[in-house]
Amino acid sequence: MARMKFYCDAERCIECNACVTACKNENDIPWGVNRRRVVTIKDGEQGERSLSVACMHCSDAPCAAVCPVDCFYTTGDGIVLHDKDICIGCGYCFYACPFGAPQFPKDAAFASRGKMDKCTFCAGGPEEDNSSDEFKKYGRNRISEGKLPLCAEMCSTKALLAGDADVISDIYRKRIVNRGGSAFNWGVSSNIKG
Amino acid sequence: MRIQTLLLLFCLVLPQLSSAAGPPKSQDSPQGVSSINPGADLWREVRQRDGEILEGISQVKSVDSGFLINARGDEWARFRITKLSSYGGIAIAAIFVIVTLLYVVRGKIPIEGGLSGRMVRRFTDYERIVHWTLAIVFLFLAITGLILLLGKSLLLPILGKEVFSLFASASKEGHNLFGPLFLVSLIMMFLSFARRNIYENGDLTWLLKGGGLIGKGHVSGGFFNMGEKTWYWMVILIGFVIAISGLILVSPFFGQGRWIMELSHVVHTIGALILMTVSVGHMYLGSIGSEGALEGMKSGYVDINWADAHHDRWGKVCHDENLIVSAEDYARLQGRKPGDTGELATEQGK
Repeated sequence: MARMKFYCDAERCIECNACVTACKNENDIPWGVNRRRVVTIKDGEQGERSLSVACMHCSDAPCAAVCPVDCFYTTGDGIVLHDKDICIGCGYCFYACPFGAPQFPKDAAFASRGKMDKCTFCAGGPEEDNSSDEFKKYGRNRISEGKLPLCAEMCSTKALLAGDADVISDIYRKRIVNRGGSAFNWGVSSNIKG
Repeated sequence: MRIQTLLLLFCLVLPQLSSAAGPPKSQDSPQGVSSINPGADLWREVRQRDGEILEGISQVKSVDSGFLINARGDEWARFRITKLSSYGGIAIAAIFVIVTLLYVVRGKIPIEGGLSGRMVRRFTDYERIVHWTLAIVFLFLAITGLILLLGKSLLLPILGKEVFSLFASASKEGHNLFGPLFLVSLIMMFLSFARRNIYENGDLTWLLKGGGLIGKGHVSGGFFNMGEKTWYWMVILIGFVIAISGLILVSPFFGQGRWIMELSHVVHTIGALILMTVSVGHMYLGSIGSEGALEGMKSGYVDINWADAHHDRWGKVCHDENLIVSAEDYARLQGRKPGDTGELATEQGK
């Protein structure tokens, strides 16, 4: 079985935010929610890096552990999904997640929280594959069509990789070898000296 | 052979030594050329391993969107699962066991000399309404809160995900709706009972005698004894903390970050667990634990013998000021006599 993972190459990400836009468009995400975001560290300083983050589909997911109604489940491909029919919108997964992936839709009155929304690795939800119900709740199910998440598929610099962990790490390993620079840089090339 | 053993030992100790020294900030290449590792330092800061939080910027403007990794979230989740849920459940179970044991060992504490039938007014209608409003709201919030805290381990395996989700969803909505009412009734409770709950002379003696649990006989007490006063101030102080932290949790639109939410949640839960635990003791002593006590909150009147036994200083005032209502008058006030309507009884009760 595959173990689906995202990987964002900090050396390649140019903070174009196209992954954010593509995700929002493809999955018809509710207002106020962004399943993916690009974070830039040390913006404008030496050593600036950008990374695109969404749900990392953890093997031992804190959201699933803390959920009071146990609505999270991991698919055979290692994708962490949640059942919006079970979710009560308490927000605990948002507090527990290291990446800030699950979020509240903010459209209800008095800021009352709807069901949580999070990245599905473009794998939909527990509903029938590609049904309108599934699209309404979770967005596109590209995995069922044999496609990978759109954010990674359309990344112009191929910074964002998605797929089986073995394949991803092979691609990344080749990049490290070909990229040059110091082998002691742990994969982040830099010309900063001293 | 010896050298091999020494080498093995060295290999075993080395990683511990290097980890004790903390992660190296830079590494020297074998050629002796100094090569700082900016990547390692950067990601270490992002992961908040040195306690420093490196916040980036993001075009997505939402709460905490600039943080790549929130390491505290997992700590909070672990704390909730391993400490709050388990110890909280144990505390609630333990107080019920303690109360049951107390009832088995001590039984209902009787009034010396039995009930006289002559009553004395203890609480006004307004005070009773305040008490029962707070009590009902508190119980509702306690049960719905416990469903959210313990339901996953206790109810979910029995009910199944679908049915439990309905319960939990209703609990969450109910908890959020009734939460603000708790603050309102808490303020009413503070305003109407605060003056009589100020500590006074003699309260320390009550504490030293364990409220009558140690030794024989009753301990001297005023209108409220020291235990009741302490419970009152616990309700007021912890109640306000719970209410404020609850309002922070229920209104996520002031831009409060996850750290504040996690902290509020922990404070909210610990405070609520303390109040829930002690409230079981309060309910026990106010009902089956002590004869004649519940009457005060039911009708507003208590038996004068009960007052003399449990609150002798207040009882003395009642005797001195001649506030005692005879058994017949009391029956009439309660509308027990045929012909008397309930409405009249309440009117006269005022």
